Amino acid sequence: MTSSQLDKMRLELRRGVLVLAVLASLKQPHYGYSLRKQLQDRGIDIDEGTLYPLVRRLAEQGLLDSEWQQAEGRERRYYLLSEQGKELLLQLTDEWLQLNSALAPLLTESKKLSQSPEHNQSGETE
Amino acid sequence: MELVERYVAAVKRELPESKRQEIGRELQANIMDQLDALREQQGQLSEDDVAAALKQMGRPRTVAYQFVPPKALVAAEDMPLLKHTLYMVLGVLFVVQVIGATTHWLGSSDGHVIRFLLQLAAGFIADACFAFTAIVLSFAAINGTGHKLGHCPGKDWSPKQLPKADLGWQHIDLSDIFTDLATCIFLLIVIWYPLWVNPAEFAARSVTFTDAALLMLQWFSPVIVLSVLLSLWQLQRRIWNRSLLLGSIAVNAAFAVFLVTLALSGPLLQAGPTELKSLFTVLQLEQGLRYGLLITACFPGYEVVRDLLRLKHLN
Repeated sequence: MTSSQLDKMRLELRRGVLVLAVLASLKQPHYGYSLRKQLQDRGIDIDEGTLYPLVRRLAEQGLLDSEWQQAEGRERRYYLLSEQGKELLLQLTDEWLQLNSALAPLLTESKKLSQSPEHNQSGETE
Repeated sequence: MELVERYVAAVKRELPESKRQEIGRELQANIMDQLDALREQQGQLSEDDVAAALKQMGRPRTVAYQFVPPKALVAAEDMPLLKHTLYMVLGVLFVVQVIGATTHWLGSSDGHVIRFLLQLAAGFIADACFAFTAIVLSFAAINGTGHKLGHCPGKDWSPKQLPKADLGWQHIDLSDIFTDLATCIFLLIVIWYPLWVNPAEFAARSVTFTDAALLMLQWFSPVIVLSVLLSLWQLQRRIWNRSLLLGSIAVNAAFAVFLVTLALSGPLLQAGPTELKSLFTVLQLEQGLRYGLLITACFPGYEVVRDLLRLKHLN
């Protein structure tokens, strides 16, 4: 697999997960940069070109409430999960947990199989 | 901070008017936060540092498109319908153009074939360009209101109506239907040219059909009309079935027999009152026409055999 293929697949894989991560992080109010920092601290690195438009889209869909506030001599737009967003987050979390519980054993099994010596041998003979 | 203002202004220029202020304001606040964080790490920032940070964010146009992605003129789900509409409309325009060009060609005294083809091509291209633009803009306007035409459920269907997987020929191409339609209408106009051409122009022609040949052609007109109806039926069904195949076999057999009979019958062409300005004599043209008719008869003959085999497969 080429690196561009990998990048494309990773992007597709992350796209849906990022929505979940952003919604989960916005149970507490955050402005753009503080949200990015929090996600980064939790191990989810997301560039600003993806995060800020995503947050705006979620707000436009009514999943986030937003408010401009003055802080440290500067205005910032704070985002917080709306009632509709909370409801959706609960549903998505259930969906994610269910998917993950089904996927995790499958991936573990597949990884074990690909690392086993018989599999490597058969791969070589092919 | 002038660089930041210039950058935000450049992004705003790429955004729709209604979203410029809001997105610009938010983008500026986010950039200032980012620069603050950078300042905490590196100390005082130079203009080069700010420029590097902005460059890392991306070109203003790219950033604007991330906030408001550009919309396609026609939605992806409407593309199959758009293509289908274009094929249908362009097919109809081709037929209409054949009618117009043939009528004009028959009315002209020289009857130049190359000029006829050029007129047909030029007229079709002009109409096609207009139709293409009008159809695409109509789809864009409908999509612009938030409607998706591709979501229309269409008429009811059943998997049982689908053609067999191993019979790929069962699907009828639109191009085949419109080619047949245009050919038949062309033939009808040529056969009935005394009706379209005014007597003065008709008298000025250097070569015409003999009365006997013209009578034979006119008696054959109902079969050509049947062929037009068969094409319209194909347009409605788009799948070869038993009835369509039988119809096609009958019409093509009639065409093949008629073309051979015409080629073998008495003189087909006669000299008109005007002197023929051509490299060939009327006799040579007559010979050419006979051979042309015999070669042309091979096509419907081939289609008869082809459709008989298809009918056998279908059974």
